[in-house]
Amino acid sequence: MRRHWGCYATAVRMTFVEHLRNRLALVIIVVFIPVWAILIYALSLEIPLPFYVRAADRTVTMPANVLNQLGGALQILALITGFMMFVTTMNSASFDRRLVRSGFPQLCLIAAKLTALVVVALCVALYATGLICLTHPTAQPLLLATALGGGALIYGGIGIALAAVLTSDLAGLVLVTVICSIDLALQSPLATPAAASVLVRYLPDYGPMQAAVAAVAMDTVPWNAVGPAVCWALGTVVLGVSAFAGRTRVHGPVGEPVTAHS
Amino acid sequence: MPSDEPVLRVRDVRKGYRGGPVLRGVNLDLPPGRVVGIVGENGAGKTTLLRVLAGDLRPDGGSVRHGGRIGHCPQETVLHDAFTVEQQLRFFQVAYGLDSLRRAEELMEALRFSGSRRARPATLSGGTRQKLNLVLALMHDPDVLLLDEPYQGFDWETYVRFWDLAEELRARGRSVLVVSHLAYDAARLDTLHRLEGGVLREQERVDAGAVYEGAADRAGAP
Repeated sequence: MRRHWGCYATAVRMTFVEHLRNRLALVIIVVFIPVWAILIYALSLEIPLPFYVRAADRTVTMPANVLNQLGGALQILALITGFMMFVTTMNSASFDRRLVRSGFPQLCLIAAKLTALVVVALCVALYATGLICLTHPTAQPLLLATALGGGALIYGGIGIALAAVLTSDLAGLVLVTVICSIDLALQSPLATPAAASVLVRYLPDYGPMQAAVAAVAMDTVPWNAVGPAVCWALGTVVLGVSAFAGRTRVHGPVGEPVTAHS
Repeated sequence: MPSDEPVLRVRDVRKGYRGGPVLRGVNLDLPPGRVVGIVGENGAGKTTLLRVLAGDLRPDGGSVRHGGRIGHCPQETVLHDAFTVEQQLRFFQVAYGLDSLRRAEELMEALRFSGSRRARPATLSGGTRQKLNLVLALMHDPDVLLLDEPYQGFDWETYVRFWDLAEELRARGRSVLVVSHLAYDAARLDTLHRLEGGVLREQERVDAGAVYEGAADRAGAP
């Protein structure tokens, strides 16, 4: 058990070293999130727009710029966490495999990746929540942070899963961008009249989007949005972890050690 | 005098890909304190065999039995570009459960790259990256060392030091299985095998330099 803690601590430390070496992602987090959150709020129209919070069975009317800002925040967080997890998982694939073959517990590597995912999602979610709260009053900031963090977790899991099947940074970035653009465009009443359709319930960021809108415009928690969000987060993380575990699997020697056969 | 009980016993190992079978029944006994070479044409399955022996690939059939710890130095340098040399050593220290990096430091000294501990792989030459690749496979002092063309990119002095290292391992009862060009190496081996048609055949060793595998490809060996 002590060895496993030591392995986990080492893996966590190295995983953060790896993330901190990803300068592009850090620049995007520090510079791009505030620029995006403030510009999209300042430059979008302020016309009132109805949004159907299906999870609470209520329609709320919100300024279009606030709705755009929430969708935009979910999108940029999805891109950042999805791409960060994709890049680190893909770049370390061979090294992780060699480590596991050399005796490093696979479980510790997986736990370290998940720890990093949760910490990254939490940090970017709190940062974005703070920025959004600066631009307009938010009824439930904690719910907003949870919604943004949930969305980031879902796309982080998607990033880990994609790393199992793709082999280039560009392919990963394009695919994460396409998935989250479709996901959030279909939920925006500004972009598509189908935003209130029942089908949006099956989109990855359905839960986070519903919760984010409720956090700004309502004083209750839309609990019906929690189930789909948890399912997506768990599903993508399990898929990503399974792919990682399969790829780093070690085929031990077949049979007993030869010294047992004198 | 070391026992002749093999530390690696391979029986009827078979492995194929979509293109067809590569290994058709490989048998090998590796006793302690031996340096054994494997030669073969390009695509003969040398790397596949080493990956099966190292546990990196599952064989379609047959058995591989280890009598001790394995060290595997893959043909491609498997390093992480985000970590310094020191950090990579620390990672593998934990993987192998070592108390210290004493052996790794000895190896770095022997291969003359102790001064690069704070460097990241991207800033190192191909030869130095390969040295680190080798140290990561050797730093836990394995009983069996599997080397896949381990000295690509080495200059002549490092190449000679590598063989001094192999000699030191042999003297301490460690076994080394090396896939090699062997243009210069045959005289340094205890046994030489040729991988041909998916099976291993022991080959008579001749004078150094007489065993050439695709000599035209390797005019610059090591």
